[in-house]
Amino acid sequence: MNKADKKNIQLRIVMIGIFFSLLYSVILARAVQLHVLKGTWLSEKAAGQYKKSIVATGKRGTIFDSKYREMAVSIDVKSIGAFPGAIDNAEKTARSLGKILNCRSKNLKKKLLSKRSFVWIKRYATPKEVSMIKALNLEGIDFISEYSRVYPNRSLGAQVLGFSGIDGQGLEGIEYYYNHYMNGSTARQTVIRDALGRGVDADQKVLAEYNGNNLVLTFDKAIQYITECALDEAVKTYSGKSGMAIVMEPSSGAVLALAHFPHFNPNNFRKFEQDLWRNRAITDPFEPGSTMKIFLASAAIESGSCNTNTIFYCEGGRYRIGRNFIHDTHEYGWLSLQQIIKYSSNIGTVKIAERIGKANLYHTLRNFGFGKKTGIDCPGETAGTLSPQSRWSKIDTGAISFGQGISVSAIQLITAVSSIANNGILMKPYVVQAITDRNGRLIENFHPQKVRTVISPETAGIIKRIMQTVIAEGGTGVNAALEGYTVCGKTGTAQKISNNGGYARGKYVASFVGFAPAENPAVAILVAVDEPQEQHYGGIVAAPAFRKIAYDTLNYLNIPPGRGKPMENADRLIAFRGRGAKR
Amino acid sequence: MFDRRLIQYFDWWLIGLTLILGAIGLVLIYSAVTAGDAISQETLYGKQMVWFGIGLAAMVISFIFNYRLFDQWGGGIYIISIILLVLVLFYGKYVAGSRRWLVLGPLTIQPSELVKISVIIVLAKYYSKRASIQGFTLKELFTPMLFVVIPFVLIVKQPDLGTAMLLVMIAASVTVYVKIERRSMAWLIGSGAILVSMAWFFFLKGYQKRRILTFFNPDRDPLGAGYHIIQSKIAIGSGMLFGKGFLKGTQNALSFLPEQHTDFILSVLAEEWGFAGTGFVLFLYMLLLVWGLSIAHGCRDSFGTILSVGVTAMIFWQVFINIGMVMGLMPVVGVPLPLISYGGSSVVTSLIGIGILMNISMRRFMVE
Repeated sequence: MNKADKKNIQLRIVMIGIFFSLLYSVILARAVQLHVLKGTWLSEKAAGQYKKSIVATGKRGTIFDSKYREMAVSIDVKSIGAFPGAIDNAEKTARSLGKILNCRSKNLKKKLLSKRSFVWIKRYATPKEVSMIKALNLEGIDFISEYSRVYPNRSLGAQVLGFSGIDGQGLEGIEYYYNHYMNGSTARQTVIRDALGRGVDADQKVLAEYNGNNLVLTFDKAIQYITECALDEAVKTYSGKSGMAIVMEPSSGAVLALAHFPHFNPNNFRKFEQDLWRNRAITDPFEPGSTMKIFLASAAIESGSCNTNTIFYCEGGRYRIGRNFIHDTHEYGWLSLQQIIKYSSNIGTVKIAERIGKANLYHTLRNFGFGKKTGIDCPGETAGTLSPQSRWSKIDTGAISFGQGISVSAIQLITAVSSIANNGILMKPYVVQAITDRNGRLIENFHPQKVRTVISPETAGIIKRIMQTVIAEGGTGVNAALEGYTVCGKTGTAQKISNNGGYARGKYVASFVGFAPAENPAVAILVAVDEPQEQHYGGIVAAPAFRKIAYDTLNYLNIPPGRGKPMENADRLIAFRGRGAKR
Repeated sequence: MFDRRLIQYFDWWLIGLTLILGAIGLVLIYSAVTAGDAISQETLYGKQMVWFGIGLAAMVISFIFNYRLFDQWGGGIYIISIILLVLVLFYGKYVAGSRRWLVLGPLTIQPSELVKISVIIVLAKYYSKRASIQGFTLKELFTPMLFVVIPFVLIVKQPDLGTAMLLVMIAASVTVYVKIERRSMAWLIGSGAILVSMAWFFFLKGYQKRRILTFFNPDRDPLGAGYHIIQSKIAIGSGMLFGKGFLKGTQNALSFLPEQHTDFILSVLAEEWGFAGTGFVLFLYMLLLVWGLSIAHGCRDSFGTILSVGVTAMIFWQVFINIGMVMGLMPVVGVPLPLISYGGSSVVTSLIGIGILMNISMRRFMVE
């Protein structure tokens, strides 16, 4: 190599170096661009890929009865979903899924080929299905943790509990009313997913802290069962269309049981008619009939214008007000106030109402809570109808005094009766006594709430005595009499209003309302049977159910029989309990 | 007789640089194959260690003997490598639609990698004998073109367009370096342009065309051919300045990154170590390239100079094409990142190349 050659060669090497450096600097610039200038943007893109924001929901709270027995629980289940975009062989996937899930692979295939980014394959799959499909290790198939609501007691208390839908939202009843307490809180959760869309932290140990709160009811499952059995029997015996029964603790307004007939099973509520879902004791008003007479009597005694022995002439069973006639089932002459209630004389009642005046009657009824919502913690409550007294004609006043031309809900009626049992103090009815958090700690405690004093304790005592006579020999409610306990009660037999506005022939609501034991009432009970056949008197249709509920409940609550009246007929008692046990 | 000056002139810097890059490569491969438990590829890591050892041995062999032996044996080395390429066509192992690998007992080798070295040697041998101030004419360039075309065709047949193109780039660099006569240069550029456009219409396979088209617009097919580029860019960018940390690359661990241990290893680096990591590795490569050129600069015989320019060009083009591809500057072609990407033949070839550079470097005292 000569010198010129060598210089030339070295120059060329430098030129190559410069050329390489130029190209190299392009790469360097690109690195700066990607890392530094576009870094944030690309980071977000990366996060967008591997992070998937899902709304995770905690488990819905449990509903307990007052003894912490489960009435509604949420259980963990897996649902199977698919990401159609990630599935290569829809045909094959559909076939293997179809085999395990026992459904048409054709339908599955259609789902797997859909344009949506996610489709449900099966909600609430069984554990066996899930493990079998997991074993197949199919691409694009995902398992999503969900909760399924289960009502372990099936139809027991169904109308009160209501139910929640597949997405965990309460739709009816307490489930609906307290939805927002029981719902697990939703948290936007970011789940890390790999390129195939599989969750990396697949079985997220989610969310205990997101679990909803539990409800503790005033309900007692056992009393509910007692009540439902007795109601079923009453409705079935007299081929009634439907029936309701409520058991309330008079001193607090706590609803111990609330039964409906017919039943529905909230576990698969869609299989039942929608009409059955409603808590009719709260939502549906009806004309109460003679049970209202005790409130008239309360007004009369409280006003001081009458006492139990004030006598009224009952017109021999037929009394004219304007162009209307009022009838009694029997022809009575002179009856005392006490007897008017005992025999349930309409004419006598009208006479009392005329004596005390409509303003007095109206205010007393308002004070007992009629025409207003009780404020019970159940959805869809009706206020019933109690038109203002200014609009009452003479016949209206008369009719309202014995429970026509006024409509009430079952809960209003039992609440009002309970106030008599509770020495004249009206309590607000309620079904949820406490809310606890996921760890069982008390969040909210619902204490009994006094609404007002309706009548004086003395008046209440007098009314109780009058109501005792209803059960006594010759009264309309003898069938409600209990061995060993004193019972206060009143029958009701209300003709139903037909569609054309008049009263329908042969269609009645037979009811019985009362409480026991009279000295220190532990339970107030209402039984109402809608459209019983053959018999329609409350004293015949509803009173026996009352007796059963009262007797079994008092036994269950360990309320000792009163000292005043020893057990008269041990044989009947044993027979009675035997029947109870068979149920 | 052993010359003490060989030790005096031993290129510690070059070997140090090489070992650092190799170590970075192993760290990145470890991350690429272990992060995320989707598919366990941990055996790959062990394999790569073995290959790196083999490569180091090959490197030592490459610098122990005087590089002039390459001049003497150049023809033989070239013929052997061509024979291997022919064997691949018949006995090669099919992987993903192409035959690139020869299975030799426990080893799987990729002759197209080794052929790069042999082409550089044979070109250096040819050019060093005939170099002139005027440069080579077309006639004189016929033989070296043949040296390149034979392996080029064999590699395109596999098909492995990336390696074939790389071979052309290396040969072109060496040839341009030794100087082409002006008119011949114009001819070559003109006919080259015609050839490329013809190749597009007649030779390129569908997937190859798609890759090139996708390069110009990756969003054309974000889940198909554009997927590699988009994912790689996302991984790199999300590394930001200092990265997400070793084994913490989300795109790597969650297998969003394709080929993350072979051709796209740089995106693992970029994601986990950020711009700091990328910049550092780019800096090391730059040192390596500058070192290679300075060896060429310091070499006093033309065979050694051309050889070192060729090896440096080989490393440069691989680094440039690979990083350009990973960063979305170039179509996706299968070119590994020298010394870092997973792949036995690639590592061994790179280390042989380094060995040759060291050979030339440590013998620079020997005046012709």
